[in-house]
Amino acid sequence: MGKLIGYRLALVAPQLVLVSLLVFSMTYMVPGSPAAAILGAQANPERIAELESQLGLDAPPLQRLVEWYGAAFTGDFGTSYSSSLPVTDTLLERFPATLSLVLGGLLVAVVLGIGLGVLAGVRAGGLADRTVAAATAVGLAIPEFWLGLVLTLVFAVQLGWVPVISWTPVTDDPVAWARGLILPSLALGIGAAALIARQTRGAMVQALSSPFVDTLTAAGVSRRRIVMRYALKNAMVPVLASTGITVTIMIGASFVVEKVFAFPGVGDLMLRSVIGKDFPVVQAGVLMIACLVIVVNLLIDLGYGLLNPKARPQ
Amino acid sequence: MKKALLRSSVVPAMVAALALAGCSGSSDGSDSDGSAASGTLAANWGGFPESWAPGAEMEAGYMRVPYETLVALGEGGEIEPVLATEWEQTDDALTLTLREGVTFHDGTPFDGEAVKANIEAIQGSQGPYSAPLQVVESVEVVDDQTVTLNLASPTPSLLTFLSTRGAPMASPEAIADGSVATDPVGTGPWAYDESASSSGTQMSFTAYDDYWGEDVGFDTIELYAIEDDNAAAAALASGEIDLGDSETYVQSQFEGRDNIETLSYPAIRNNLQFFDRGPGGVFEDVDVRRAACYAIDQQVVADLAGDMVSATQHFAEGEPGYNDQIDGYPVDTDEANSLMQQAGNPSVSAEILATVFNEDQIQVYADQMGEAGMDVSVQSAPPPQYFSEWNSGRYPMGLGSNDELTPYDWYRAWFAADAPGNPSGVESDELKAAADAAIAAGASEEADALWADVTKVIADEALACGHMVGEELIAWNADVVTGVAPSSQPWEPNLVDYQALQPAGGGS
Repeated sequence: MGKLIGYRLALVAPQLVLVSLLVFSMTYMVPGSPAAAILGAQANPERIAELESQLGLDAPPLQRLVEWYGAAFTGDFGTSYSSSLPVTDTLLERFPATLSLVLGGLLVAVVLGIGLGVLAGVRAGGLADRTVAAATAVGLAIPEFWLGLVLTLVFAVQLGWVPVISWTPVTDDPVAWARGLILPSLALGIGAAALIARQTRGAMVQALSSPFVDTLTAAGVSRRRIVMRYALKNAMVPVLASTGITVTIMIGASFVVEKVFAFPGVGDLMLRSVIGKDFPVVQAGVLMIACLVIVVNLLIDLGYGLLNPKARPQ
Repeated sequence: MKKALLRSSVVPAMVAALALAGCSGSSDGSDSDGSAASGTLAANWGGFPESWAPGAEMEAGYMRVPYETLVALGEGGEIEPVLATEWEQTDDALTLTLREGVTFHDGTPFDGEAVKANIEAIQGSQGPYSAPLQVVESVEVVDDQTVTLNLASPTPSLLTFLSTRGAPMASPEAIADGSVATDPVGTGPWAYDESASSSGTQMSFTAYDDYWGEDVGFDTIELYAIEDDNAAAAALASGEIDLGDSETYVQSQFEGRDNIETLSYPAIRNNLQFFDRGPGGVFEDVDVRRAACYAIDQQVVADLAGDMVSATQHFAEGEPGYNDQIDGYPVDTDEANSLMQQAGNPSVSAEILATVFNEDQIQVYADQMGEAGMDVSVQSAPPPQYFSEWNSGRYPMGLGSNDELTPYDWYRAWFAADAPGNPSGVESDELKAAADAAIAAGASEEADALWADVTKVIADEALACGHMVGEELIAWNADVVTGVAPSSQPWEPNLVDYQALQPAGGGS
C-alpha cells in the first residue's frame, strides 16, 4: 500500500506541471490583448501598450513562464487584471463554496447511487430493479441546471422549505450551510447517482452470481450478511473506478449549478475571467481544479488498492 | 411518464431530506416579513463588482449605494450638483466648488485632497474608466472646498463623465491602504457593514448617521449577487429579494403574484457601423452604406428580441446630440437596390463578427442586406474574441454597443480620423468641420445645436445605422418597497433612484 501511495504521489508533480504548461500556452492562443479587454473598446493603442507593459505582457513568453513558476512555488499566483486583488486570496475565498457543492453532490451521488444500485442488484428482474432502471434513465436525461431550477421553484418558491439564496459559509452558520447545500447537492448529484446506481447494480448482479455466494449460502450465512459484507465489497471495485470519473464530471457540472444557486464559487469566477481574459485567475483556477481532480483520483486509487490488492504495484 | 417515474424514485428521498431541513431551525432571516419591518431592502443586480475601487467596473445598482459622484445628470440631461455644488469650465480647466460638511463613512473629510486622490486613482486604474480622465493633466487643490482639474485639451464631456459610475468618490484613506477594493467607503447614504455581510453572497449597508443629504427610507440595504435570471426571479417570488433587474422571459414566474411589479426603461443601445471606409474599402462609397442601411428592417429584430425597440439615431430625444431632423433609414429595399445601382452595382462581400448575445440580430441584418445584393457572412466567436476583434478593423463592418453619453465622446470614439473605433482613419471634411465647430463652442448654449449637426452628418453619411435600444426591466415587491423609478442617469442599466425608495409598510 505504501508503494502505491508513493507511486501515485510521484505522478502528481508532473501532472500539475503539464496542466500549467497547457494553460499557460492557451493564454497565448486566445486572440486579442488582455489589456484591450480591460480598457474597453475605446482605448487607444498607446494606452493599451502602456497597460501591457504594466502587466508584464510585453515580456518574452519563456521569461513570463519562469517568473510565474517561481512565484507559484511560493503560493503567489499574481494579481487579477480586473480586480487588482491577489489571485490566491480571490480563489481561496471562493474555493469553499465549490468544494462544499462538489462534496454535497458526491454525497448524494454515492448514497443514492449505491443504495439504489444495491436495491436493484439484489432484486434483479423484479419491480424494484425495473423502477430503478427507469429512474436512472430519467436521472441521466435531466440537465443539472434544469433540475436545479425545478427544485428551486418547487421547494424554495412554492413550499418555502429552503432558501433560494443557498450559500452560507460554514463558519457563519453550520446549520444554514447544510440547509443551503441540500438543493444544489441534489441538482448536482442526481445525474451522477444514476451513473453509480447502474454501475453498482451490474456489479452486484455479477457478485451475487459468483460461486462464493453459493458457498456462503450453503454455510448458513444470512442473505443480508452476504449482500452487505461480501457481495457489496466485491461490487465496490468497479463502482469506485467509475466514481472517480464521475467526480471529475461533477466538478465541471458544478460550475453550472453554482450559477443557478448563486454560489460564489470558483466556477463563476472562472467564467468571468475567461471572458475578461484575466489570465492570472484562469491559470491559477485551472491549477486549483486540477489539484482537486488529482487529489480525488488519488483517493479513489488508494481505495481501489485497498479493495483490490492486485491493483497495487508489485 | 417521466414525472411519474421521478415521483416514484427520487422524490421521496428528496422530500424526506427537505422535510428534515424544514425542521432544522429557523430561517436565516431572509424572509421578507422581517425585511420590511426592519426597514431592510434586499436588492440584486446580478453580480458584485470584482473591485470597489474607483475606476473599476461596477454595476450602478451596487456602486450607487455607498458611493456618490461629484455631479449628476438631471432628467433633461443637465448637470446637477451632488458633492460639487458649483463648477466653472474653460478649455483649459474645470474648477469645482465642493460641498461643505461632507464626510466619508470612515470619518475622513471630503475635501479637495480627497477629489485629487480619487481622480488620480481613476487615472491610474486598470479599467475602462481611466481613458476619459487621461485628459486631466493635473489636479490642483486650491483650498479645502475648491479643486481645479487642468486639462490637456478642451473636453466638453468631462462633467458628464464625472456624473457616471466611472467616477465615484471614495475615502482617500481606503484608497491609500488598498482596502477600498473589497470594503467600499464612500459618502453615500449607506455605509458598508462587513460584520452583517456574508462573503460572496450578501453585502449589508446601513444608513450613515452623518450623511449630508436628506434622510433615506430604508435603514439597511442588503445587496445580493444572483447572476442567473431564473434564480433571481425565484428569489424575488419567494420574498428573499425585494428589488432587482429582471428579464422578460422569466416574467411567468410572477404570474398570480400581484405584489410583484415591473417597469422598463431604455438603457443599452447598439448599432451597425461600417469600418472599411478607406480608399478601395468595401464601404468606401456612401451610397453602398446607405443601401445597407435602407435594407435593414429593425422591426424584425424588435419583434424577435421582445425587449428591444428600434431608433432612428444614437441619442434619444432630450439628450444632447439628438436631432429631430434625422429620420433614420426606414426599411426600403427598392431604395437600397436603386442606391446600389447608383454606385455601379459593386460586388459587396463582407464578414461581420457576432457572439452569443447579438448573433440573432446580426444574422437578421446580414440576411436583409442580402436582399440588396450584398453578400454578408456572419462569423461566430466566443465573447472574449468578439470583444477583441469586432471593431479592430479586421472586419469591414460590425455591430456593438456604443455607450458614450455625449455626442463629443461618441464622435471622438468612433468617427474622428484618429478615433480608436475608426480603423480606416477616414473622416469627411463636412464631419470634421461640424465637429470642430461644436468642440469650439465648449459648454456654451450653442453647443447642443452644433452637436446635433454633427450627429446629422453621421446619419447622412451612413456611418452608423440600425440603431436598437434595449429595454432594462426592473422588478420589485410592492409589499416591501414603493417609489421605485428609473434613475435619471441615462444608460446605466441595473439602477433605481435609491433615495426615492420607501418601505411599503407591509411584508409579503
